[in-house]
Amino acid sequence: MKVTFLKPGMLSTIQDMGRHLYRAQGIPSAGAMDTLSMRLANLSLGNPSNAAVIEMTYADVLIKAETDLLIAYSGTSSVLYVSGKALQDNRPLFIPAGQNLEFKHQDTGSRTYLAVAGGWDVPTVLGSKSTYLTGKFGGLKGRILKKGDSLINTNDLTEVNAYLLSRLKSSQINFTNWSIHKEHFSPPDKNIIRIVPGNEFTWFRADSLLNFLSSTYTLGRNADRMGYHFAGPPLMRSLQTELLSTGVVPGTLQVTHNGSLVLLMADGQTTGGYPRIGQVAQIDLPLCAQLKPGDSIQFSAISRTEAEKLYLKREYELRKLAIAIHMILK
Amino acid sequence: MITPFGKSHHLYTSSFSIHFLSESAITIVFGQGIDEITFDSVHQFNAQLNRLPFEGFISTVPAYASLTVFYDPLVVMHAQELQGLNGFERVCNYLIELQQKSPLIKKKKREQVHLPVCYDEALAPDLAYVASYHNISPEELINLHSGAIYQVYMIGFVPGFAYLGGMPSILETPRKEIPRKQVPAGSIGIAGKQTGIYPLQISGGWQIIGCTPLQLFNIERPSPSLLEAGDEVLFEIIDLQEFKFLSGSNS
Repeated sequence: MKVTFLKPGMLSTIQDMGRHLYRAQGIPSAGAMDTLSMRLANLSLGNPSNAAVIEMTYADVLIKAETDLLIAYSGTSSVLYVSGKALQDNRPLFIPAGQNLEFKHQDTGSRTYLAVAGGWDVPTVLGSKSTYLTGKFGGLKGRILKKGDSLINTNDLTEVNAYLLSRLKSSQINFTNWSIHKEHFSPPDKNIIRIVPGNEFTWFRADSLLNFLSSTYTLGRNADRMGYHFAGPPLMRSLQTELLSTGVVPGTLQVTHNGSLVLLMADGQTTGGYPRIGQVAQIDLPLCAQLKPGDSIQFSAISRTEAEKLYLKREYELRKLAIAIHMILK
Repeated sequence: MITPFGKSHHLYTSSFSIHFLSESAITIVFGQGIDEITFDSVHQFNAQLNRLPFEGFISTVPAYASLTVFYDPLVVMHAQELQGLNGFERVCNYLIELQQKSPLIKKKKREQVHLPVCYDEALAPDLAYVASYHNISPEELINLHSGAIYQVYMIGFVPGFAYLGGMPSILETPRKEIPRKQVPAGSIGIAGKQTGIYPLQISGGWQIIGCTPLQLFNIERPSPSLLEAGDEVLFEIIDLQEFKFLSGSNS
């Protein structure tokens, strides 16, 4: 299966679940920002969850199907149109050769993921296919996708991939009569981001902590794969101790010297010296990945045990879903 | 520590405290300062844990006074050998036991790395400033800086950026007020008590007093970062001609 980019969109890169073994060398994990959408796109096709996908920012992407394709997409920033027809996300889609795939931007999010049967074929660098733009490695030559770039899938087709392909292959666009009900994974309110109080939480003034957990914070224009800067009531410290640089991870909420809030994302640095007021619960990090500059959120505190319970629950649900999809073979 | 959310967030033992970082990472804190005793504690425990990992262990990230441990909570929750009500507790219990089991293992020998450094003014734009800041001659500065034995406390900031401790305290110099837009790869700088080496050409505010021709970071190598936290570094003075030869820029 092969595609060529006619319009690459604002920022499209190849990502998987990230590079996790080299953080001690200062190498960020990278990987999909919204790991939930990325995994649902893969699961819809029967791919392993770590198969490489295309991460499109905002979209307005035009891709030519050079061959027949078995794909699925997920995310909230765009809708896929082929021959003027909108196609549903989170569902296996068969597209015959010669068609153009148009991802039309919609204002409901900022990232969409395109998976192909077997995953997109790019070299594995340090255990991952994820693009790390600052380091200029991973993905397609360590860079964003450009007009004229072609990508093919790997030959590692799973049983489910092969089954879906044989069932859906046709001279026209074709799809299954089922899809993943993504809403099942949606939290009650996507503007409430659950956090666990960070290690330096008590370094802040009581009124600042009250603001942190009750005021609205708005994502500024300074928001990329490395981190998000939020605007909102400043967070002032009662304890002025310098923090020795220590490990940080995607989801860590740091407070800079002027009291502003920075959320580290997928390409965020591996160590940091700013006090950590909180840690976004992993279950809500995909919601953050879909925020656009100007979007407002509120933080709500939960305990670390609650965050872990939610994390495990989500993982078990995704496993069950993979098993359920595998059942179509029977 | 009691947080406003009731549940204890931290676990303490006599020589370290353990903190939640995320659902799949915890941080062990061994001390509060930049000193060799803390440095040795971090790296001895790091070596011990990597030799005797628990089920679900993924990796570690050493820093000045802490070690962050990454793990897979799903594996940890199903591991027979681990005990506790949740993943955090299970990993904590293992770490505390590991630390108590063999607190006095043989001291790990530090890996020594000899790094050629050229202190020529062509590659050291802040050498004259730093020397005059301390009222010493550039030669004295070079002798003091190259005569010390350094410890790699941490790799961070960008891939392969090495934070070194061990610089003679009389060379402590504040950062530049306005950072440079481009610091060449290999540049060796001073910021406060620390010496650092830039692996890539990036912007930065450290006072640049020399440059190494070696590649600190190369993605083509199986282990891309030349230095690792826990290593010991010795600087060896080279002249501009040797620098050019070693960096291949005269070929």
